[in-house]
Amino acid sequence: MIPIRCFTCGKVISRGYEEYKRRRTEGEDPEQILDDLGMDRYCCRRMLLTHKEIIDEINPYQ
Amino acid sequence: MKLEFKDLLIDQTRFILSDSSPAFANSLRRAMTSEVLTFAIEDVRVYDNSSALFDEMLAHRLGLIPIVTEYAGYTPRDVCSCDGAGCSQCSVTFTMSVEGPRMVASGDLISQDPVIKPVSDDIPIVKLESGQKVVIEARAILNAGNEHVKWQPTTICGYKNYPVIRIDDNCDGCGHCVEACPKGILAVVDGTVCVKDGMDTECSLCRLCEQACLNSGIGEKPAIHIDMDPKRFLFTMESCGSLPPATIIKEGLQFLKNQSDNLLETLEDL
Repeated sequence: MIPIRCFTCGKVISRGYEEYKRRRTEGEDPEQILDDLGMDRYCCRRMLLTHKEIIDEINPYQ
Repeated sequence: MKLEFKDLLIDQTRFILSDSSPAFANSLRRAMTSEVLTFAIEDVRVYDNSSALFDEMLAHRLGLIPIVTEYAGYTPRDVCSCDGAGCSQCSVTFTMSVEGPRMVASGDLISQDPVIKPVSDDIPIVKLESGQKVVIEARAILNAGNEHVKWQPTTICGYKNYPVIRIDDNCDGCGHCVEACPKGILAVVDGTVCVKDGMDTECSLCRLCEQACLNSGIGEKPAIHIDMDPKRFLFTMESCGSLPPATIIKEGLQFLKNQSDNLLETLEDL
């Protein structure tokens, strides 16, 4: 799961992840999406950019 | 001492603190980040959790959700008359019961007090597949950021000295400093360099312009000087949503005032 807050500054970043994921699969430029989501600082931007979602891979083994 | 707001938005603010000292500016910053009380989930009772996340992980994620804070009627748990047992004076109970398949979000937390609720309803907590279930009861209490960051009302909170940009008469308007400035706050007007209107606060005191001026061969000393005003501070503060920025400043100042009053009382008792 995407962390609730940015590790560095503490801004709540998880709210934008669903939108980020959807627009990213549509092939949009991450820069534009992050700007639209109001992620100004690079600490918050890397949270979304570098996140690897693994919950769907773990879920079958519950 | 003077406070002048450059902008005051719903979740962030920039203000100038003038006629002050570095010690006071830092005290104010520290008070705002770590001494202002907010609500955050502290205790979680897990009745059922068949999701992919462990109970501890779930509790950790719940704790980090910012909660709208209203002080009226609430006291911190350690000074409450219930002696830390947890009563309606010092804690707010949230309940959540969700069955998959769907995403559990902060909006699924049902609060006993309609005012004290998560700042937004769309913070994801855990993704459930069909057959998975999460049933919990959580208790939020008032505390300060020096105990745990989840009680910190600010995200970024910092200040810098107010920049003072001086341009000498021997400036030949070569424009090297204009190109060097990473913030783009300088311009050449009528053969001399000047600061663009209202842009002086953007200066990051990097002094690249001074270096560029020297490199242009003006002589021993640059024609542009960047200094900082030791008595003025430019604060930038962003709230996580639990309290409005103005309240955070007010509560921070109130904390400093109470601290100094306490010190005075102690000194008088000696």
